[in-house]
Amino acid sequence: MKAHNEDTKRFEQLILPHLNAAHNLARWLTRNDSAAQDIVQESCLRAFKSLHRFAGGNVRAWLLTIVRNQSYTWLKESAGERYYVDIDDEAAMSEKDKAILAHTDTPEVWTGRMQDRQALQNGLEALPAIFREVIVLKELEELSYKEIAGVTDVPIGTVMSRLARGREMLKKELLKNDE
Amino acid sequence: MTSELNCNDCANWLHPYLDNELETEIAARVNMHLAKCASCKARFAELQALRDGIRQHAPYYPAPELVQQHIMSQINRQKPAFSSRLWLVPAFSATALAASVMLYLAVPSPQDMLMDEVVSSHVRSLMEQHLADVPSSDKHTVKPWFTGKIDFSPPVYDFTAQGYPLLGGRLDYLQHQTVAALAYKHGKHIINVFILPTPGADSTPQTLSVRGYNIIAWQKNHIAFRAVSDLNAKDLNELSQLISAGGT
Repeated sequence: MKAHNEDTKRFEQLILPHLNAAHNLARWLTRNDSAAQDIVQESCLRAFKSLHRFAGGNVRAWLLTIVRNQSYTWLKESAGERYYVDIDDEAAMSEKDKAILAHTDTPEVWTGRMQDRQALQNGLEALPAIFREVIVLKELEELSYKEIAGVTDVPIGTVMSRLARGREMLKKELLKNDE
Repeated sequence: MTSELNCNDCANWLHPYLDNELETEIAARVNMHLAKCASCKARFAELQALRDGIRQHAPYYPAPELVQQHIMSQINRQKPAFSSRLWLVPAFSATALAASVMLYLAVPSPQDMLMDEVVSSHVRSLMEQHLADVPSSDKHTVKPWFTGKIDFSPPVYDFTAQGYPLLGGRLDYLQHQTVAALAYKHGKHIINVFILPTPGADSTPQTLSVRGYNIIAWQKNHIAFRAVSDLNAKDLNELSQLISAGGT
């Protein structure tokens, strides 16, 4: 039992401090309160079981990797094949999108949108998950490109391009709300 | 003297510049350009405003207190460390002590989750009769086909002479990323070999059995291979060795 107590202690010290980050990511990815809670619990249990194999390094990124995988499993199960549509969205922006983006001659309204909690939430939730997650990990969890690359399992260059695309898409969403 | 950026180059660097991810020298060039170019400067200001807007005003969802309580009560009910389940993956625990954190990033969830995905992709490729986007046994046709579709270059070889003709290649999805899949044939059996980049260290082949399919998994030169088939493990291993050795 002693080993178990030590594991528990280690878990409390290493994992619990990142519970909010874990929940935040799961909630943004699933857009669903109860799914996010389930995912965080399941991910923490998995982390607990593998904790004695954790050799050190960035615990938060490690936990977020688990949370992300669980979240995508949930997304896949709840959306079926439609999930894959996300990946195709990485294709180039349509001409119409570009036209909306070029139309930025209303800075006041636009700034207002960027500070409007509801508009930001709607805008971010409208993005495909692979773009939403890089923005959440960058701006809300303040991870570096390298850490995000680790969590999302893609090269750093992909993180960079997804972030750029994600921000442009979010901008578009925010402007769209305005119309 | 460093050369001056044009607006196109500047636009490419603007996001990593905003995120403090540029090397000093490039950051200085962006900085210099922004000081002179009003339109890039306006664009950058907009990005900054968007970033600040998200950071300060987008919802953040902390874990409800109940979640922590649930987790702790579940953990306290857990059996002591080394639950039986872990022993199902002996090779994984054997390497555990030596493994770096990168290995966990590459295989963060239990192996069985990934392996399950490998089998599902294999079965789907057979059901949909969609083995190859580029049906060819010529490695000089298949390998270039992948260029520009994925950001790594998968090793492609034909082993017709050894009894494993290459049927072709296609793109597939594993672990939420686009991967290369090569289809081989041996007798009446189809073999899918999934190839994806990994930051993890090299590892020797491990044989697993999932839902009646055999899987051989190994990593070499930062590329992970997963060969899956209903073929027997011995022959599947032979093909894996051929691929690993690099072919001719």
